[in-house]
Amino acid sequence: MSDVSYDHVDLPIRDEVVAAQQLVWKHIAKSGTWLTGGERVSIAAETRAALNCDLCTERKAALSPFAVEGEHDHLGALVPPMVEAIHRIRTDPGRLTRAWRDGLAAEGLDDERYVELVGTVASTVAVDQFCVGLGIEPFPLPAPVAGEPSYYRPDGLSHERAWVPLINPKTVGPNEADLYANSTGAYIRQAMSLVPDEVRGFFALVASQYLDAEQMHDVGTEYRAITHAQIEFVAARVSALNQCVY
Amino acid sequence: MLRRSADHDRRDYDLGALTAAGGSGGVAQGNLLRDFAEAVVALDRPAIAAAGVRIRAALDDAAFADVAGVAAVFEALDRVADATGIPLETAKAEDTAGFRAEIGIDRFAAAGEKGRVA
Repeated sequence: MSDVSYDHVDLPIRDEVVAAQQLVWKHIAKSGTWLTGGERVSIAAETRAALNCDLCTERKAALSPFAVEGEHDHLGALVPPMVEAIHRIRTDPGRLTRAWRDGLAAEGLDDERYVELVGTVASTVAVDQFCVGLGIEPFPLPAPVAGEPSYYRPDGLSHERAWVPLINPKTVGPNEADLYANSTGAYIRQAMSLVPDEVRGFFALVASQYLDAEQMHDVGTEYRAITHAQIEFVAARVSALNQCVY
Repeated sequence: MLRRSADHDRRDYDLGALTAAGGSGGVAQGNLLRDFAEAVVALDRPAIAAAGVRIRAALDDAAFADVAGVAAVFEALDRVADATGIPLETAKAEDTAGFRAEIGIDRFAAAGEKGRVA
């Protein structure tokens, strides 16, 4: 059973939003591509815990996050490089660097698990922040489902354009062709393509809470209760506050 | 994308409002949307509630739900982009070079590293 429901909320939450969030909650609970369901739910829990971490608060306030050393306040279920990754991505994403990512890799957090972690953090943030925006408590995290990861690594990866390998839309194989269907294959869609199921789950949220790729470019048609201009103003202001260059 | 909307709407939205301390950018109810976006990023629950009441009154409940959805999912999208170090698409960089410099995006902390063109 999924625990995502807005039946108690006095707002017209679109069915596609509820369906996408239920899908993602189930996805978090199950064994993924490189991580178990237990690890994935622990990542979601740590994403929430990061908001109460004193070290993260100090780093956020510092001129450079790398000037403040210490130990994260964490839940104890994950190895240190995963905790560091989750906390920094959650609390200070605009100041992440290639050297920081390489440092995590040197501590044993490989690209595959890192990308799956990024997807899990992002999905948790998208659902939790929606609840925060509506003024309700975030949903209980799902119970982990037993099982083994699939360890599926797609073909067609290259490693020269980002901090992690990406599948180029021009060379994508049949198993991953759906990742870029009806889209321009922008880098944001490629970003987690090393772990294709993370793209599928996360972009279900994007399509429902924001717009799908076709709707985004169809500025002549309004698909939501707010206009394209209002949507993009909110999106761009959030990104500016996060100091997101992309 | 806001510039594309401006072209379509034949409006001259003020993109400087995106990085400035205030302003609606010329977007309908922009000040309310801005207050809400800022409160969500700051996790300021009283400010979120106050902005939400104003949006529901000025627009409607469905609009408020959509604003909340957009703000939340961009909180997540920004993190995917920043955590994976993806570059800017060449066309996007060329198309936006002028206003990125003008409104200060090129001065963001990670601009030198992540603002590069693919």
